[in-house]
Amino acid sequence: MECLRDEKIQHYLEKSLSSVEASRIRDHLIVCKKCQLKYQQYVQMENGLADPVYTEPPAQIVKNVMKRIYVKLPTYSSIFALIAASMVLLVSWIYIYFDFSNNSLIQALKLTSNSTYNWIGQVIKIISNIFSSVYAIFKSINKFFEIIFNVNIGIEIFGFSVLILSMILVYAIYLLLVKRSGKQKI
Amino acid sequence: MLLDDDQVLIEKILDGSKLSFEELMKKYNKKIYNFVIRMVRNDEVAIELTQDFFIKIFSVLHKYNFQYKFSTWAYRICYNLVIDHIRKNQVYVDSLNGDNISQKRLVESKNFISEDGFDNLEKDEVKTYLWKTVDQIPMKYRELILMRYLQELKYDEIAEISGLPVGTVKNRIFKAKELLRKEIEKDGMFA
Repeated sequence: MECLRDEKIQHYLEKSLSSVEASRIRDHLIVCKKCQLKYQQYVQMENGLADPVYTEPPAQIVKNVMKRIYVKLPTYSSIFALIAASMVLLVSWIYIYFDFSNNSLIQALKLTSNSTYNWIGQVIKIISNIFSSVYAIFKSINKFFEIIFNVNIGIEIFGFSVLILSMILVYAIYLLLVKRSGKQKI
Repeated sequence: MLLDDDQVLIEKILDGSKLSFEELMKKYNKKIYNFVIRMVRNDEVAIELTQDFFIKIFSVLHKYNFQYKFSTWAYRICYNLVIDHIRKNQVYVDSLNGDNISQKRLVESKNFISEDGFDNLEKDEVKTYLWKTVDQIPMKYRELILMRYLQELKYDEIAEISGLPVGTVKNRIFKAKELLRKEIEKDGMFA
């Protein structure tokens, strides 16, 4: 029998030959030193290949991918803070625009709250005080501009700015909520 | 349908579990990175491509069909990514054509001597040399050897990933091993 081709030895190693052919090769391997050596080399190689030399991947891979995929989600507290801020601004604008400080209904409510000690009266008082403070701040800013730049912007323009700002905040809240509810888009 | 471990993880990832994706990455990181680095032979490019692979997996995970094995699907994406990179960058990294390899000496060899000493050291050297030689064989052989032994894929899976007929895959792997054997024998590196 002629010496075995490499391919035949590999087939024999993989046990992909018929039993007749496999026994013929086995017989040849017993008598042929050259093919025996080749066979042993393949066995050795097969063992080496089946046990690969791995390089440890850098830790930065997992870290970078996680950072790129999972963008930090906004916290609930930041969303609540924005909601509170936009509410204050929106209501302040209504207060200024409709001149609630001189409104008879508000005056009536204030008077009622002064004379009542229940919690509704207290809430009205607190809200009214907050609005009065915001109103006072607007007035001061207006005065500041008047003194420094000699321009009278007017409380209405401030009120309008507050409205725009509150709209922006509402939109920001909407975006944050969408981001949170969508978790991570796939 | 009975889901395997990978598919359970995928379901969790699709439900928004960040930890599950990290777990999946850690599971495949080693095999993917090693495949990529042995294909492109450049640390920085290998890191970049491995990252791109995981990002790509994440972005198309909703398209994964649970009837198929995840690993085969993922390795095909990895294979396409690497092949695209090599084509785009015209990186031809084959160098085994005659005497090139024989001049390369074994630079790194693990200093590992176990109880039966010499034998294991020799075996380890052969293995290290063998894998260094794998890095030098032509790409059409190397990619198949890497899929077969590094990623532990079956012939039919390799055929699916590479788009080659199973017969061609088998023949090329046999040819690759013949090439490796001859190189190692020529350098007298067999134990």
